[in-house]
Amino acid sequence: MNVFLTGGTGFLGRRVVKSLREDGVQVRCLVRPSSDVRSLQNFVGQDLWGGVEIVPGELSNIDSCRRLIGESDTVCHVAASLSGGTAVMFLNTVIPTRSLLTAAAQVGVRRFVQISSLGVYGAAGLPTGAQLDERTPLDSHPELRDPYTYSKIVQEQIGWETHERANLPLTVIRPGVIYGPGRGVMSNRVGLKIGPLLIKMGGSQTLPYTYVDNCASAVKQACLAEGVDGEAFNILDDGLPTGSQLLRKLRRAGQGVRSLWVPRPMIGPLSSVYEWYSSWSQGQLPGVITRYRSDSMWKKLKYTNEKAKAQLGWRPLVTFDEAFARSLAGASA
Amino acid sequence: MPHSPSTPRLRMALIGCGQIADAHLQEAAKVASVEVVAVCDMHLDLAHQAAARFHVPGIYDNVDRMLAEIKPDVVHITTPAHTHGPLTLKVLAAGCHVYVEKPFTLDELEAEAVITAAESEDRKLCVGHDQLFDPTWLDCRSRIAAGHIGTVRHIESTLGYPISGQFGAVVAGDPRHWVRQLPGGLFQNTISHPLYRILDLLPDPHPRVEARWDRTKYEFPTELWVQLRGTDVTGSLTFTSSVYAQRVTRVYGDQGMLEVDFDAQTIRRHAAPKLPGAFGRLEMPFRQWREGARNLRRNLWRFLKSEIHYFSGMRNLMTAFYRSIQQNSGQPITNAEMLRVTRIMDEIFADCRAREAGVVEIASETQELEAVR
Repeated sequence: MNVFLTGGTGFLGRRVVKSLREDGVQVRCLVRPSSDVRSLQNFVGQDLWGGVEIVPGELSNIDSCRRLIGESDTVCHVAASLSGGTAVMFLNTVIPTRSLLTAAAQVGVRRFVQISSLGVYGAAGLPTGAQLDERTPLDSHPELRDPYTYSKIVQEQIGWETHERANLPLTVIRPGVIYGPGRGVMSNRVGLKIGPLLIKMGGSQTLPYTYVDNCASAVKQACLAEGVDGEAFNILDDGLPTGSQLLRKLRRAGQGVRSLWVPRPMIGPLSSVYEWYSSWSQGQLPGVITRYRSDSMWKKLKYTNEKAKAQLGWRPLVTFDEAFARSLAGASA
Repeated sequence: MPHSPSTPRLRMALIGCGQIADAHLQEAAKVASVEVVAVCDMHLDLAHQAAARFHVPGIYDNVDRMLAEIKPDVVHITTPAHTHGPLTLKVLAAGCHVYVEKPFTLDELEAEAVITAAESEDRKLCVGHDQLFDPTWLDCRSRIAAGHIGTVRHIESTLGYPISGQFGAVVAGDPRHWVRQLPGGLFQNTISHPLYRILDLLPDPHPRVEARWDRTKYEFPTELWVQLRGTDVTGSLTFTSSVYAQRVTRVYGDQGMLEVDFDAQTIRRHAAPKLPGAFGRLEMPFRQWREGARNLRRNLWRFLKSEIHYFSGMRNLMTAFYRSIQQNSGQPITNAEMLRVTRIMDEIFADCRAREAGVVEIASETQELEAVR
């Protein structure tokens, strides 16, 4: 097997490269001309580096994507833009993905693994306490979500369109919030960071987290496993904490966060007030908080990773306590 | 926005749904005389996201088809800089007025062609020199007119532009990025704002230009220094990637100086102390405190009236441009001014290239001499 992988120098991608190499898989790794390949090489290690082929380039059009895929039989598309406005996200995530999907279908790869996000679901429409799993529909109003989630939803829609139209053997991985050394454990799922202050939203909601090494092993399994074409998998760790539990754990570890608590019943009304003001003031305060977005982000939901365990044969081997310690220490074992 | 039914709204279309398009669509929604009817981008996904977020009915990936089917009154061009000239000519030929983002065109030659076409088609042009219509700049202009700093003698414009920023990082990471292919490279896409702020108060049609660029750790020039010398007024422009992001212009008169900070939306006046000796050292901080209080009061009042918007200048410029079309009156930015700014940018980049070539020649001559010895 030879995997063409995008985003290989990134936070998740470098671990996927290493994980694939540990299973003896040859990896053809796309990098931007400006990417830090030496850092990737050090991370993967000399013993495994022999099976990594570095291909500089850009996913700028279908022809270049075909050339870049080369003789690879599997595509693993990890690269995505993490910041910027909606247009930037689309330029850097959606448009290259469309080219890559089309090229992969034309080349006839055995599998296309696309890294999506747990945020793609229409969580705003679910009742509080409902279970969110792979059968939950994608958000039908992606334009109302934040730029990152909007781009991931459209990216996934294009993936499924290509799967249907061009018979592309697609497997989608939907990780929760990926955390680990270098990225910390805090996220918007706990609350909003405004300068040094955290606006803690609720606290009893389970945080849909996955440790980066656990996530990387799930991506590897999605490349290797048989019989998972046309399937999507939520990737979440076991023993997930709530927002309050995470903050308590941080405080006990000596990393207290100054926070202002918004009780759960107040999240919706306050979001509505903010949304009204943003609209009334014609954007003097940007419309980053809306009722729809807060319902999508901070609603209490139940999560499951049973499908990934059953069909990918995946297990999140690093426990939350261990992952938490590694993340704070800033070093991966 | 309320709109008088007696004046029909102008139908606006936009070409190029990248980042700056958001600002145009957002501000257009606040201008009563505008009805956004279509967006167009060569990437249909980009056009779709813009249409979905700003509730635009028409979605296109082909300019000719959009112009033929929609027949807009005004077209906004928010595409990469090297496409401004050809697209503006195409849109003018279709009988539309054009609002084009900065820089106006690639060079003076293209600018002349566009202006000639606009004049022969009797269509109006506007370029995105929106900071001239920013409330803080308008305030600065009225204080100059009121004699707060006497006669203007020198203008100093600084643009702090860390390359690690969102757009800069993309440009730095891609040697084939369109910005790096422009004759003036990164500067051509960025210095319009600090330059036209100087030229707004430096009226000479042909000021003397001296410019130099330099490289830091990147393969392309990232630092720029420009000196402009007019008959009575001089100007200096600094573009630097080594400081935090900032947009500041200082206007020096013979009796004082006004410092305009576009990000903070503040204006501070400096002048020589009136009190002698040590008393002057007390007077100056007191005056600065008073200026600070004045800015706080002004911005607080503007906040309460929800008037603090990053693109206020664009909205004001758009309003003025659309009014000029409806009333068939003068453009808010004249064609001559667009041409002058473009020409001076050409001269800046030509001077930079000449100096760089000179440095290279001197360096190679020195190396040859060393080799001979």
